[in-house]
Amino acid sequence: MLINNDLKTLDLTVGDVFSQNPRLKARNVSVFYGDNKAIDNVTIDIGNKEVISFIGPSGCGKSTFLRCFNRMNDTIDSCAVKGEITIDDENIYDKKIDVVPLRARIGMVFQKPNPFPKSIYDNVAYGPRIHGLSENKEHLDGIVEESLKRAGLWEEVIDRLDSPGTGLSGGQQQRLCIARAIAVSPEVILMDEPCSALDPIATAKIEELIHELGNDYSIVIVTHSMQQAARVSKKTAYFHLGKLIEVGRTKDIFTRPQHHQTEAYISGKIG
Amino acid sequence: MFSFYILVGILLISFVFFFLGKNQAKKVAYTNKKKLHSLIHYYGLYSLLSSLIPTLGIFFAITICDDLLFAELIKKYIPDEVVNSKDYNFTIVLAQINNSVEGLIFGTPPEWVANAAAIWKSWVLKSNTITMAVCTITIFIFGFFSLKKIQYEFRSRNAVEKIVTSILAVSSMIAILTTIAIIFSVVFESIRFFALIPYDEFLFGTIWNPQFEGADRAGSGQEGLSQYGAIPLFAGTFLISIIALCVSVPVGLFSAIYLSEYATSKERAFFKPLLEILAGIPTVVYGFFAALTVAPFLRSSGSIFGLNVASESALAAGLVMGIMIIPFISSLSDDVINAVPQSLRDAGYGLGSTKNETVMKIVLPAALPGVVASIILAVSRAVGETMIVVMAAGLAANLTANPLEAVTTVTSQIVTILVGDQEFESAKTLSAFALALTLIIITLAMNFYALHIVKKYREQYE
Repeated sequence: MLINNDLKTLDLTVGDVFSQNPRLKARNVSVFYGDNKAIDNVTIDIGNKEVISFIGPSGCGKSTFLRCFNRMNDTIDSCAVKGEITIDDENIYDKKIDVVPLRARIGMVFQKPNPFPKSIYDNVAYGPRIHGLSENKEHLDGIVEESLKRAGLWEEVIDRLDSPGTGLSGGQQQRLCIARAIAVSPEVILMDEPCSALDPIATAKIEELIHELGNDYSIVIVTHSMQQAARVSKKTAYFHLGKLIEVGRTKDIFTRPQHHQTEAYISGKIG
Repeated sequence: MFSFYILVGILLISFVFFFLGKNQAKKVAYTNKKKLHSLIHYYGLYSLLSSLIPTLGIFFAITICDDLLFAELIKKYIPDEVVNSKDYNFTIVLAQINNSVEGLIFGTPPEWVANAAAIWKSWVLKSNTITMAVCTITIFIFGFFSLKKIQYEFRSRNAVEKIVTSILAVSSMIAILTTIAIIFSVVFESIRFFALIPYDEFLFGTIWNPQFEGADRAGSGQEGLSQYGAIPLFAGTFLISIIALCVSVPVGLFSAIYLSEYATSKERAFFKPLLEILAGIPTVVYGFFAALTVAPFLRSSGSIFGLNVASESALAAGLVMGIMIIPFISSLSDDVINAVPQSLRDAGYGLGSTKNETVMKIVLPAALPGVVASIILAVSRAVGETMIVVMAAGLAANLTANPLEAVTTVTSQIVTILVGDQEFESAKTLSAFALALTLIIITLAMNFYALHIVKKYREQYE
């Protein structure tokens, strides 16, 4: 059954949707907002410790699809997800799955930096606290320090951990949000246009960070900028009108797109 | 009645100027063979407003001033023996004459009153004629002047904009000036009170026992009979307010959280208006609910536990007042909780918080300043609430912290002091103003503080 469906999808999607070492597997996923089909029968693998970009014109459903992986679409009443998404061969849409630990395993960074109106320390410590990841204060301090270091923010905030996170600059806030996400040691990090609200210098820092984090985490990044996709990701998936058009190595997608729609988008004919 | 006809006349004529203005604009456009600066109806509106507003101003000025003028002039017609008599009071004499003018005659008024009334009537007739003449002249002068102004270069859209702006500014000034006037009238009466009773006795005295004893307490042989220590009243007010808050803060806040975070949009559309109906129930209805239902219930259930609950207890008034202010807290808190950006909730869920954790650890702390402000507004509402405490809290000025006893509040004392016939010079009557002044200062301070908190909160998010 699954094989048949796979074959059907392959008719639609050009390129290699499967990964040799997959972490997340999406099979025939469709998403509906009421009667409106936002994602149409998408099948794709997210490899282990792999950075993959979702690109496509506005409204193509790439963000919606991203939010399926940690079931953030659950918070929207009218949204329904069909198909199967597995993490380590466990269906995340299974009734037995609790979304709370799932979302700890699959972290998320949002489009606009959204630090809590709390201190920098409390922002990062929030996740470990609610999941009980630390045994004592020293351990928690260690987690906070480690996360801030990995997010490249430690040097900048070392002497003001108690000041509010909302007082940082936009780029620093976004790195704080990344630190907050990695503090709960997720396996996958989803990033929904993480640089769209930032200036070029802050963007460059975040991209560098994504590049480094790619060594330890699977990262899915939705982006509007093709240059960004080219810079940070090994693999790229192109979405158009809710359909996954083409998946492949980033280099191939940008130099030798196989599908005419991908080519039109890359060369700026649709956008 | 005549004034009403004049008013209708003014309105009708100004409407005529609306059409005249439009016509004039059309003519101008036709002769210049070009499009005008503004739409045609702005020219009409300009004529209407610039003829109507000055005329209305003059009309009201005349109507207000002529009564004052007549009152001054009529003094000549009051016989000297009346003026020189011991209990002569011009206000009362004036009222007598006015009643006579309006045909409200009790018994046979003295001859001089009838005479004065006749003179007054003749003045009114004259003044009506003058008013009508002046208004007619004004409206036509201003109307035709506005028509003359409608030329090709004239920008009526901008002119109308200016007029509308000034109307809005004047309206807001009226609200502000009224508040200031109220405060000043209370301040002046309070100054008279503090001339009779030292302010430290009022502010720090612990016994409230006002008696009528004439204007001059010293030498009346009754010193020490009246005592104006306001502490028991304020203590009672705060005891009842605290009980009210113990009811309304948890219930109001939790219902706000439920409505804004948990309820589906259908439930919310159903429950929120229902909750706000609570705010629409007249406080007098809450009052008899407290006095007739809650108080007897508390009394009987208290006796089961061997507690002696007064039939007019602070508890009954406080509980019902708490129910009354639930909608203030829930509605305002609901608004501030809704104003917390969705991105913060997303961040919470994205980190794997449950709904409850997100609400308690992220949304509520973020909304806290606004929630506190809503509670402070509710407190100032509770402190100033009158009807419930008049009906359910009693009048005994006990200085007690026991909610089962009867206490009295500032507002219910003001009501009892000012209801009925009063002698205005006595310290007892004037004490109502001193109480009111203190109350105004307290609630104003709390409102200012609440606004300050809300302002600070806004800055945090933008």
